[in-house]
Amino acid sequence: MDDLKVGLRGETTQFIIVRLGDEQYGIDIKYVDNIVRMQHITRVPKVQTYLKGVINLRGEVIPVMSIRVKMELPADEYTKATRIIILKLEQHGDIGIIVDEVKEVVTLDNTQIEKVAYESKEEKDNFIFAIGKYADGGLISLLDLNSVVLEKESI
Amino acid sequence: MDVSQYLEIFIDETKEHLQNLNTEILNLEQDSENVDTINEIFRAAHSLKGMAGTMGYKRMQTLTHDMENVFSEVRNGSIKVKGNMIDILFQCLDALEEYLNLIQESGDEGTNDNEPLIRQLNEVLDSREGKAPAELKAAQPVKKAPEADGSTQKWLAIKFDETQKHVLREAENQGKSVYGLTVKVQEACILKAARAFLVFKALEDLGEVIISNPSVQDIEDEKFELDFSLIFISDSPLEKVLQAVKSVSEIEDVQGAAIDDEKLKEITGTGADKAGESVPAAAEQPPAEKEPEAEKQPAGTLPVPAKQPPASQPAAAKGNEKKNQVSKPAVNRTVRVDIEKLDVLMNLVSELIIAKNSLVSASGDRAGSGGVNEHIEYLESVTTNLHESVMKVRMVPIESVVSKFPRMIRDLTKKLNKKMELYMSGEETELDRTVVDEIGDPLMHLLRNAADHGLEPGEVRKAAGKPEVGSIFLDAYQDGNNVVIEVRDDGAGIDTEAVKEKAISKGLITAEQGESMTEQEIMNLLFHAGFSTAKQVSDISGRGVGLDVVRSKIESLSGEVEVKSKMGVGSTWTIRLPLTLAIIQALMVDVGGEKYAISLGSIQTIEDITPDDIKTVQNKEVINLRGIVIPIIRLSGVLDIASKKNPEDNMTVVIVKKGDRLAGLVVDQLMGQQEIVIKSLGRYITKCKIISGATILGDGEVALILDTNALF
Repeated sequence: MDDLKVGLRGETTQFIIVRLGDEQYGIDIKYVDNIVRMQHITRVPKVQTYLKGVINLRGEVIPVMSIRVKMELPADEYTKATRIIILKLEQHGDIGIIVDEVKEVVTLDNTQIEKVAYESKEEKDNFIFAIGKYADGGLISLLDLNSVVLEKESI
Repeated sequence: MDVSQYLEIFIDETKEHLQNLNTEILNLEQDSENVDTINEIFRAAHSLKGMAGTMGYKRMQTLTHDMENVFSEVRNGSIKVKGNMIDILFQCLDALEEYLNLIQESGDEGTNDNEPLIRQLNEVLDSREGKAPAELKAAQPVKKAPEADGSTQKWLAIKFDETQKHVLREAENQGKSVYGLTVKVQEACILKAARAFLVFKALEDLGEVIISNPSVQDIEDEKFELDFSLIFISDSPLEKVLQAVKSVSEIEDVQGAAIDDEKLKEITGTGADKAGESVPAAAEQPPAEKEPEAEKQPAGTLPVPAKQPPASQPAAAKGNEKKNQVSKPAVNRTVRVDIEKLDVLMNLVSELIIAKNSLVSASGDRAGSGGVNEHIEYLESVTTNLHESVMKVRMVPIESVVSKFPRMIRDLTKKLNKKMELYMSGEETELDRTVVDEIGDPLMHLLRNAADHGLEPGEVRKAAGKPEVGSIFLDAYQDGNNVVIEVRDDGAGIDTEAVKEKAISKGLITAEQGESMTEQEIMNLLFHAGFSTAKQVSDISGRGVGLDVVRSKIESLSGEVEVKSKMGVGSTWTIRLPLTLAIIQALMVDVGGEKYAISLGSIQTIEDITPDDIKTVQNKEVINLRGIVIPIIRLSGVLDIASKKNPEDNMTVVIVKKGDRLAGLVVDQLMGQQEIVIKSLGRYITKCKIISGATILGDGEVALILDTNALF
């Protein structure tokens, strides 16, 4: 029933819902290349703290970053549910980001996505470009991936 | 004809021919009587002309045609080689190279006619011995003229036998038109017979070919010059027939006319004897069709009139070139591979498959599992060989780059008014194609430097008791996993005091720093951006951007450059480049539980030392190794990781070299030598300068590759 409604309202976007600490975030599925289990990350010295290192993804060396560190959340605790989401970004190539858990995939149509106006100066908010509204009234923060992976000298 | 598919080959071959011409003309200058050289030049020029024509590059063709004329006269001995002529020829080669560059960038030769050059060439031609210039000028058009008329109307000379006359009468009775055609094939056409065949084929769709001159058989055997004539019966109008013939590529021109009743009667009735005399159809020829002939007349005529600016306006022409350049890059980079190298590669691949199969069967066969190791060893040796031969496929001799230098030095001799000779060795040394492509500019710069700054003027040299003619050496050789290229001169050497003063005045170093610097360190200042000691900025060198660009270029190729010099004796610039950039032999080391790879090429020795061996000099840790003081770098500190070793224990030190300098890297443990495939860390990680890349180990783990050069 829900699907039908969505279809009628026009363009839809699919998001992968991930958990970081207590909060849930949506990642636009078109940027997601792959989701892999947590694996050994080879540390790279002398780089930004949020860059955790590199992993071997089927013969390619892919950098991995921690969104938690980037967002100034408490450091990652790796559990069985921890996943690395490999993003394909035109500007930066492939990058892995560490999330605590991958929950589900949701489909939102454009009317359910509300762009955020930046009023808060808080860094964390800048990683979010919109708020998604579920049909049942729940809310989800949608990550602005370009600013998530954007190089930052300060940290 | 769509020739774009041949463009790459054309460009490659043209480059080869140009290079060849450059070399041979240089030889010619030395030994102007050498018949082999002249023949070789003639051949190269001729092929060049043919190729340019085939590809439809008219301007290039015109220029080479006139060059060929000159060479032809030289070959006949009617012109003597003179310095002036050599200069003009070199300018022509430069112009051709310019065409080639434009073609490479945009697929178009541009609009520069190089008319002045063509005129100069003709002046050279005019000067040929025993003939007045006017005579030649007059002779050429005259020579061409009858050919033009004759060739266009040759069909008139066709003779008919009785059967053919009968056929013609029949055709006439049926109301069909009879045409006479003369088809001229482009001079550069390689497969004339094939073109002629296509013409016949095109015509057969429209009607019937009654007779041809030369005979069909001769045409098929390519027994004709550039044109052939035929008589043709068709229902179609003349234009359509001409159009059909012209649609065949590499047909330069087709002349044709309807044979009217009167004429036909004449032919069929009284025979063909008179045919040659009466030329009624000639009037029908539009004059424009003679243009291709006109094009060949060298002096002053513009090859393609209407659409281009006069050649005397190079600025305008340049503007056009710019516009053209914006369009698509026309060529992909290719490597022409020696077939033998590919054969080796192919054999190795087959062996690899065999080895794999034997592994498969060995693992399936429990009883024989003892043989697995043996097979694996076999597999290993095959893959190593495979790697080597793949590498070799990518390797090209540096000859392609260095062979242009003798010419450059010759030009510099004139420009700088200094006498010098270039001696080259090791041109056959091979390097990765990508490296060879990049190495030209830095080398050229070093050579110009040597010629301009290095070598003293002749009088100074004489006064110093040196031979007046300066020598510049370019030596290339392989040294282990590196290729070394040395540029050496026997000039004045580097004046370190002058360099020091300059550096201080430029604010690169302070006077105190200058005092404590060694000569070598001062010389390294030359590689600093914005440094030039030339008192006068010349257009040969001395813009002060050179040497630092040389260095950054070479470092971008994972190589290094250094300079050694002795006042009054000369300077040596040494470039060291890795043989390959993709797969290297590396030493795996353990630092604080992490694995790192160090390129074997940069490792000098590995030493086991006690903590007591480490001394402190100026707050830096050093060891005295067999009389050489070597600074110690604790990798655990550089890599921000805690060493897992007891500080009391003996330490393993990997001695690495960068040029002449050594450094000792303290590691926790050696893990052995391994062939590693270099992977980039990606665009995202850019801050880490001491890591040059990563590699994936057998267990799937990623290990980082230390850039030891960045540690110095």
